Amino acid sequence: MNDRLSFYRKKNSLIHRLNPFTKLALIFTLIVIGLFGTGYWTASIVVCLVLIPLTFISKLFWEYLRVVLRLILPTATFMFVMQSVFIPGGITEIFHLGPFSVELETVQRSFLIVSRLFLVISAFAFLLLSTHPSELMSDLTRRGLAPQFAYVLISTLQILPQMQAKAQTIIAAQRSRGLDTQSSFIRRVGSLVPLVGPLVFGSLVEVEERAIAIEARGFTSTHVKTFLHDVPDTSADKVIRWLLVALVVITLILKIWQS
Amino acid sequence: MSQDVVHLLVAIGVVAVVLAWAYVTKRMQKDFTTMTWVLIPVAIAINIAIGQLVLVLKLPVYLDSIGTVLVGVLCGPWAGALTGALSNTIAGIIFDPGWWPWIPVAATIGLTAGLCANAGFFKTWWKVVVTGFLIALAATIVGSPIAVLLGGISASGSSIITAFLLQTGKGILESVLTTNFLVEPIDKISTSLLAFAIIDGLSARYLARFPHGENAQLDQQKRTSELVIALIVVVVLVAVTIFFVVPMLNQ
Repeated sequence: MNDRLSFYRKKNSLIHRLNPFTKLALIFTLIVIGLFGTGYWTASIVVCLVLIPLTFISKLFWEYLRVVLRLILPTATFMFVMQSVFIPGGITEIFHLGPFSVELETVQRSFLIVSRLFLVISAFAFLLLSTHPSELMSDLTRRGLAPQFAYVLISTLQILPQMQAKAQTIIAAQRSRGLDTQSSFIRRVGSLVPLVGPLVFGSLVEVEERAIAIEARGFTSTHVKTFLHDVPDTSADKVIRWLLVALVVITLILKIWQS
Repeated sequence: MSQDVVHLLVAIGVVAVVLAWAYVTKRMQKDFTTMTWVLIPVAIAINIAIGQLVLVLKLPVYLDSIGTVLVGVLCGPWAGALTGALSNTIAGIIFDPGWWPWIPVAATIGLTAGLCANAGFFKTWWKVVVTGFLIALAATIVGSPIAVLLGGISASGSSIITAFLLQTGKGILESVLTTNFLVEPIDKISTSLLAFAIIDGLSARYLARFPHGENAQLDQQKRTSELVIALIVVVVLVAVTIFFVVPMLNQ
């Protein structure tokens, strides 16, 4: 389990100083170009020529590499291999592996799918590495996102480590009372109840208290709220965003025109 | 435009229309009170925590939608759908973006649970089993096109079953459907029963605070006869699906 809640790493770079909404728009544009761009190598090019240089600019390259090796590469490789071997319908055979044969067309097609998947996940990883979730939520709320959504996302990120800690405590407590978590299947099913029960009911009872607390702090109020922390939005940000919009429009027009 | 893209756009259009209708007729807003907004993060945390716990105990089910079903029953289908969607979104952010394609499936789980509960199908053991089965059905139907879009292969162990079925000459859709029909009912019925057990253990005063607290007013019935009925219903439903529905869908 992750002991850190979010991927965010604080560095002093050009990208980090950008407005979070701009960063969101940036990866959205990259994903649209990668997924809808015409051409076989589009997604791969975007990753190599745009995303990786961005990670260098934002001094996040090593963190990004770690995420790639730990999360993305295993999944992508597994999918690539499975799809190349098992999807039927290829013609030119490359090589044999027992009863399974690998065809050129299948490999090409699965590379296309996997490269797009790689792009999407990498783009999001980059966003998460360079943007603090609270800042992003704060900015989105200022732009009109309902505060309830922002509350739900941030609250979940806060509750999760609390719950994990609680779960560890409950497991340790029940084990010290003789709960068996390692023997036969039936015993393990039985041990689910004394573990889950206190965790779930304890958290649910808190719900009512929390609801009263946030209502007392004006959660459902529709008045305009003042923010404690200012998230800067420079004119450079605005220019970048309009450029990205233009790129998305161009990509979509090209796609529709070509099909 | 290729056929797949057309299908995708139609699906998105239908969902958008339904959501707009629910919003305009104020059906959606009824689900979302402050209690709902506070329950959703706790439900998502329950999803993730119990999912991890089940891994520790090495049981052959996922049980990662208990919170979603809970919100669906207590707060309504729309809140349940949102819980499922957000649960997968956040799991994708924290653990592994491989959760994200399955957001519609999680949303469907919450939606179905809410709809069944509103129809009164969450008040006794056997009704809960039927609800669990319907959830499994809906989740499979929504999940199979997604699995096909990913090439029929995801990064999970059930892909091995799918791959085997593909090699024996069956079509992609049929292989994926058959795999999921074998795995989903057990998980979803257990999930619904656990959600039912949780509701059973909460006080009536507490439950009444939620938008659809009336769904949680359980009928008091004899335990053993209920359980027997429930088990019979499970066996019948699973048998019907495997022997009649799946071949029918492949024509």
